[in-house]
Amino acid sequence: MTPEKDGISTAESLRSTRTYGKIRCHNPTCMERLEPKKGDKTIKCPTCGMEFRLAWVKDGFPRIRGPVWETNRKIAEEELSRKLKQKEGK
Amino acid sequence: MSLDRKIAYIDLSTGDIQTKAIPLEVRRKFLGGRGLDAYLLYNHTTQGCDPIGPDNALMVSGGFLCATCASATSRTHVMAKSPLTGLLGSANMGGFFSPEMAWAGFHHLVIKGKAEHPVYIYIHNGEIEIRDARDLWGLSVTEAQWAIRDKLGDQEVKSMVCGPAGENLVRYANVMTGIKNAGGRTGMGCVMGSKNLKAVAVRGTMDIPIAHPKEALEFNKRFIDQIVSAKVNQTQGTLGTPFIWGATNSWGGIRTRNFQYNQCEYADDIEPERLDEIATETMGPYHMTGCFGCQVHCRAQYKIPDGPYAGRYDEGPEYTSQGAFCGETDTPRATTLLTANHLVDQYGVDNLEIGSLISWAMELYELGIITSKDTDGVDLRFGNDEAVIEMIDRICQRKGWLADALADGGVAASKKIGKDSFSYLIQVKGMSNLHSDERATPALALNIATSSRGSDHLRSRPAIDLYHLPEPVMRRIYSSPVPYDGPLSSEHTEYIGKAWQVFWHENCYMAVDCLGICKYHTTFLGATLPNFEDWAKVIYYNTGLEFTPQEIWGVAERCNNLERLFNLREGLTKDDPEKGDVLNHRYHDEPARRGALDVIGRVIEKDKFIKMRSELYEHKGWNEDGLPTPETLKRLGIDAEPSHLV
Repeated sequence: MTPEKDGISTAESLRSTRTYGKIRCHNPTCMERLEPKKGDKTIKCPTCGMEFRLAWVKDGFPRIRGPVWETNRKIAEEELSRKLKQKEGK
Repeated sequence: MSLDRKIAYIDLSTGDIQTKAIPLEVRRKFLGGRGLDAYLLYNHTTQGCDPIGPDNALMVSGGFLCATCASATSRTHVMAKSPLTGLLGSANMGGFFSPEMAWAGFHHLVIKGKAEHPVYIYIHNGEIEIRDARDLWGLSVTEAQWAIRDKLGDQEVKSMVCGPAGENLVRYANVMTGIKNAGGRTGMGCVMGSKNLKAVAVRGTMDIPIAHPKEALEFNKRFIDQIVSAKVNQTQGTLGTPFIWGATNSWGGIRTRNFQYNQCEYADDIEPERLDEIATETMGPYHMTGCFGCQVHCRAQYKIPDGPYAGRYDEGPEYTSQGAFCGETDTPRATTLLTANHLVDQYGVDNLEIGSLISWAMELYELGIITSKDTDGVDLRFGNDEAVIEMIDRICQRKGWLADALADGGVAASKKIGKDSFSYLIQVKGMSNLHSDERATPALALNIATSSRGSDHLRSRPAIDLYHLPEPVMRRIYSSPVPYDGPLSSEHTEYIGKAWQVFWHENCYMAVDCLGICKYHTTFLGATLPNFEDWAKVIYYNTGLEFTPQEIWGVAERCNNLERLFNLREGLTKDDPEKGDVLNHRYHDEPARRGALDVIGRVIEKDKFIKMRSELYEHKGWNEDGLPTPETLKRLGIDAEPSHLV
């Protein structure tokens, strides 16, 4: 079979699913879509409370540069402590 | 055209050189690149051959589409029995080498034997010579490449070399082209060193006619648009692969202090934006560069800003160097990263392996399993930048007891060190893990446990699993080109449907490796990037050969099974802690302690992992022991191997 020159492949058709100007919260079971305002340097997830530093690849194209260390470290330590206690409780 | 490119058999012991055409039947079964190399390895080595002996065969290849009008066909593949693992050895690198080899008339080389003294192979427009390289022995990677160009009086010569690490038989030495295009993992540079082969140099001006040039160029416009419009590639073209490390570290997927933590805290100095600032300061704003035929340009050029190597030029660093020399060793400082990256490029050694082994040794040192007597006084504490640099030098030169042991790889070193050292070694099939921590991502854990060349992120990693894609989108991706109506889950902390994803990506990556296209141009980091359906068109327009997407999938399955057959022949059994499809116990026993809220406390649940692994075997047509069934081998047409077609 000669390939169809104009046929759109699955990968090409998925282009319409791309989103712009948004990022996802890095907390795996949260993954809330966050939409920072132009020039914002940090963003806090309204759902899980984790906070991230932002970088801009270009205008309208934000990315998470990394965590706000103090905030997320505190959340992580509290969560680890809670889970360890929970485990000991069993 | 591509179909005219030949295969050369070179015996370094006798000097015998033969060239042959590659039969169409072989192309249809294996395409080229890694897939055909797997066939050649299985057919041209015998069970139990010494990886650093003359009987090991070293394959060097370009992909089937190499140097055609298709985009990003730069990849060079190298394969042999691994001196690190004793199983499949395989390395893949970008740059400009394999297109030049194709223009010189060849797609595949099979190099056997051992030269009496250091030599290099020179290939030019259909001719092959074995030349004296005694004056090249001992030179660093770039010194050797420059010297070869000077000797040949041609600055367009491209060469693939082993550095001092390969000469010293460091078991995870790389083959290198350019300053940093590294064929890393599994020690293919060590195989070169064992054969007294310093380099393969190529120069070609032979045309590669295109079957349907107008259509090929027209389609490539679409292909390129698909590539460059993807957000992931726009990010890579700005920040390079370090953006991956940065994002992964943000949520807690980076192993730190060997495997004690899963996030390198306060790593701002090695975040991609900081590295971009250094590259801009030292090389100017246009510091991103790329490989042959690529539009992404993911590689930064930089000079080391300060320290004893200040002013030295290099390229990268890749995210693997961030992990190896910063996260694992807990030394997140740019100067350490850029210096270590430069040293491994010049020695020609695998950054992931050497960094992982140094961090392993650091943990052993802090536990008292090894002492300062073993380290010759090197203070191997985590966070000691100078120790990282010192140990790279020592290992590549095999200087001192510990460095010499580490140069033989982790499993061998654990036998020399003894005590409980093996249980701290983060490896699969004898190859150290990438810097990533997969405790929160079962699909990625399954990928590294079952990958054919050992713990590996480039053979079956469903990286897009981290994107929380909507289930209908996942369904569209994973139901093509072969139907799949089983479960799929958008949750990357889940175990459901992950075996199919690993199977799908394994075939996707094998196919792209057979074609010689970069993985950043397929469904690796971007869900909307080209794969099987697109490749059927690219193959047809460039070569005239008609493949359906399903047939390309079939080629990939066939080649993956050949790699499995090789590993089984060399002793793989599924639960062997040194050679099996298993993870270090810490994945199952030690919960993640840092990172995002829902990463904390995660382990890979062993019973679910075993179930997932069994599902993967079933998808592959393997039995419960991980052996391809006779029906599977017959279906794939490899039930009578070795068949010696080429």
